[in-house]
Amino acid sequence: MKKLFRAAAVAAAAALALTACGGGGAASDPSNVSPTGEIKPREISWLLSRPADGAVINIMKKLADDYAKEHPGFALNLITTPDRPSYIQKLETLAAANKLPELFDTDATPFARELAKQGKMVDADKLLKSLDVYDDYRPGALDYQRFDDGSLYMIPFQFELEFIWYNKALMEKAGVSVPKSLDDIPAMCTALRNAGITPIAIDGQDQWPLERYVAYQPFREAGPDFVQKLKKGEASFSDEAGQKTVKWMADLGKAKCFQEGFSAQGYSDAQNQFTSGQAAMYNIGTWELPSLATDKLNSEVRDDIDFFTLPTTEGSVTAANEFVSPSGIGMAVNSKTYDPLVSDFLKFALEKYPAEYAATGALSPTTNVQTAIPANATPLYKKALETADTLGDKQAMPWDTQLDPTTNGRLQQELVLLVQGNITPEQFTKTMDDAIKQNAPKFFK
Amino acid sequence: MLPNRSRTSVLVFLLPPLLLYCAAVLFPILQSLFLSFFSWNGISEMEFVGLANYVRMLTADDIFWRSFFNALLYLAICLVLQLGGALVVASLLTSLRRGRELIKTLYLLPAVISTVAIAFLFVRIYSIDPVGLLNQLLHWIGLGSFERAWLSDVNTVLAAVSAPEGWRFTGLYMLIIYAALIAVPKELEEAAVLDGASKWTLFTKIRFPYIRPVWITTTIMATTYGLRGFDIPYLMTNGGPGQSSELLTTYMYKTAFTSTDFGYASTISVFIVIECLVAVGLILFMLKRKADS
Repeated sequence: MKKLFRAAAVAAAAALALTACGGGGAASDPSNVSPTGEIKPREISWLLSRPADGAVINIMKKLADDYAKEHPGFALNLITTPDRPSYIQKLETLAAANKLPELFDTDATPFARELAKQGKMVDADKLLKSLDVYDDYRPGALDYQRFDDGSLYMIPFQFELEFIWYNKALMEKAGVSVPKSLDDIPAMCTALRNAGITPIAIDGQDQWPLERYVAYQPFREAGPDFVQKLKKGEASFSDEAGQKTVKWMADLGKAKCFQEGFSAQGYSDAQNQFTSGQAAMYNIGTWELPSLATDKLNSEVRDDIDFFTLPTTEGSVTAANEFVSPSGIGMAVNSKTYDPLVSDFLKFALEKYPAEYAATGALSPTTNVQTAIPANATPLYKKALETADTLGDKQAMPWDTQLDPTTNGRLQQELVLLVQGNITPEQFTKTMDDAIKQNAPKFFK
Repeated sequence: MLPNRSRTSVLVFLLPPLLLYCAAVLFPILQSLFLSFFSWNGISEMEFVGLANYVRMLTADDIFWRSFFNALLYLAICLVLQLGGALVVASLLTSLRRGRELIKTLYLLPAVISTVAIAFLFVRIYSIDPVGLLNQLLHWIGLGSFERAWLSDVNTVLAAVSAPEGWRFTGLYMLIIYAALIAVPKELEEAAVLDGASKWTLFTKIRFPYIRPVWITTTIMATTYGLRGFDIPYLMTNGGPGQSSELLTTYMYKTAFTSTDFGYASTISVFIVIECLVAVGLILFMLKRKADS
C-alpha cells in the first residue's frame, strides 16, 4: 500500500510539472491585421457577456447567417454569460489555459492590458483602420475602450449615456428642484426623506452602481485623470479630490439618500422602486430606454418622469455635457486564431452592424447611422438620444474598469460600510489608501 | 479472512475508485499546495515566492482573519441548527404515532430545493423595503423595534446567511438520526423504564450512547459541509456589507477569480483543507475521549 501511495505521489508530481510547462505558446503578430491567404470557412466562437436575447446577439446571429450563405461551412458560435462576475471567471480561466476563442468580450481592465501586452489580442486600432471603418466610430466610444496609454484592443458594439432619472411629482411634493450642483444632493435627500419619499433607488447587490457615485466628485473636481493616477498610487483618497468624494459619500449616507437595506437589493428591485413611484431618483443608462421612455413604463408615473445629466460643482474642471458615457463591454480579437476568415467576417459584420443596431432604437457606437425611435416611445426617448450629439470630449470612466481588481473589490465593500455609517471617512481613507499601496504595484508595473 | 485469490480480486476492484479519488481529490489538493508557493495571475510567468504567501496570510491580511472568525461563527450556527435541530425533531418524531412520513418529507424538502432558489427566497424573507416575511412577523407580534434590514446590518448579516444553510440540511440529518433512533432496541428502553428511568435519563444513558457512531458521522459531515459553506452567503450578500459575511471560501473564490491571484488563493485553499482535517481530528478526539470515560 505504501508503495502505491508513493507511486501516486510521483505521478501527481510529474503531472504537475507537465501542466506547469504547458500553456504559453507563441501568439502570432498582433499588429498584422490583414492576414493573407485563402478564406477557409469554419466554425468560430465568440465568448461574450451580453443579454441572451439582446440586440447585439440577435444582430450578430443574423449577420453570421448571412455570411454563411456566401461561405458555406461558416458558423458563429455565440457563448454568452450575462452575469459579469461569472463571465470574468470563465474568461480568466480560459486565458490561463491559453484556450481563448476567436472573439471574446472584455473591458479595458488591467487583466486585459496584460493579455494585450503578451500579444494575445489583435490591435483594434489598426484593425478598424484597415477595414476602413475607424472614422465611423464616435471618438468617445473608442476612447472608452482604450487603455491608459491610448492603445485600443477592443471594439465597441454599444454607446450609452448615463442619466439621473427623476420623478417630477415626488420632487414637487418634497419642495425640491433638480440639483444644480452635486453638493446639493445630500440636502435634497433630507427634504425628500422628510416628505416620506425614498430619495434614490439603487441596486446595491451588483456593487457597481454605488461605485459610480464615488467617481462623480473627483471627475468634477480633478477631471478624468484622477482615477488614472489613483489606481497607480500617484494620487490618493487623502488628496483634496479624494477627501471631497469620501465626505460626500458619507453625507449621502447620513442624509439617507438610498433606500433602507439597499446593499441586499438587486437591479430589478431598484428599478421597480423608481417605476412604481416610490423613489424620486434613479441613476441608469440609455440601455433602459425601452423600459423608461416607452409606453411600457407604468402609466401612473409616465408623465412625471424626466432625467438630468450629472450635475457639476463649483469650480468644476469638467463641463455639464461631460459625464459617464460608456460603450459597454468591448470585443477583443484573439491574435492566435486570427486568419483570413476571421478578418473577412469582421469586415462583413462591422460594416453592416451599425445600421441594424440603430434600427432597434439603440445608440450605435458609430455616427454614420440614425437611431430609429420606436413607435411606442415617449418624448423622453428622443431627448435622451439627442443628448448624445452634444457630448463633450471628456468622459467619466466607471472606476470598476479602472482599478486593479483587488482594490476594486475592497472599494465596493468599504463604500457600503461608509454609506451605511459603519466606518468613519477617516477609516475609509486609510483602508483604501493602504489597499491601493499594496495591490496597485502588481498590476501597474 | 478472505482467501488469497479473492483478496487480490478485491484489491483489483478497489483500484479504479482509488485512482479516481486520487485524480479528483488528491491531485487538486497537491496542485493547490504546489501553487501556493508561487505568485501567478493565470497568464503571466509563475514566480516562485517560497513561503511569502503563507506569511502574508497569517500576519498581514486582515480580511483573512476576519473571514476565518466569520467562518467559525457560521459553522457554529449551522451546527446548532442542523445537529441540534435534527436531534430534537428526530426524538419528537419517534414518539409520534401518525403522520411521521409526511413530517419527514416536509422537513427534507429544503434539502432538495436548489441553492439559488433558497438564496432568493431568504433575500425576500429578510427584506425590509418592500417588507419581507420576517419583519412583517415581528411587526405583527409587537416586536416592531426589532425590524431591520437583516442583510445590510453588519451585526445581523452573518447569522442571517447562516440560518438558511442550517435550515436547509436540518431535515437530512434528522432523517439519519431518526433512522438510528428507531434502531435502538425496545427491550433496553423498556427495561430502563421499569427500573424507573426518567425520559431524560433514558435519552442520555440509553438512546444517545446507542446512536453515538451515527452522531459522530453526522457531526463530521455537518462540520466539513459547514466549513466549506459557500453558495448561500455568496449568493445572498457576496460577503458584504463590507466583510461582515465574508467566509474563507468566498474570500478564496474572490482572490482567485476576481483578483486573479491564483497563488494566494491556493494558499487559502490549503488552509481550508488543513482546517477541515483539524476539525475532523478534534471531533474524533473529543468523542473518543468521552466514550472512553
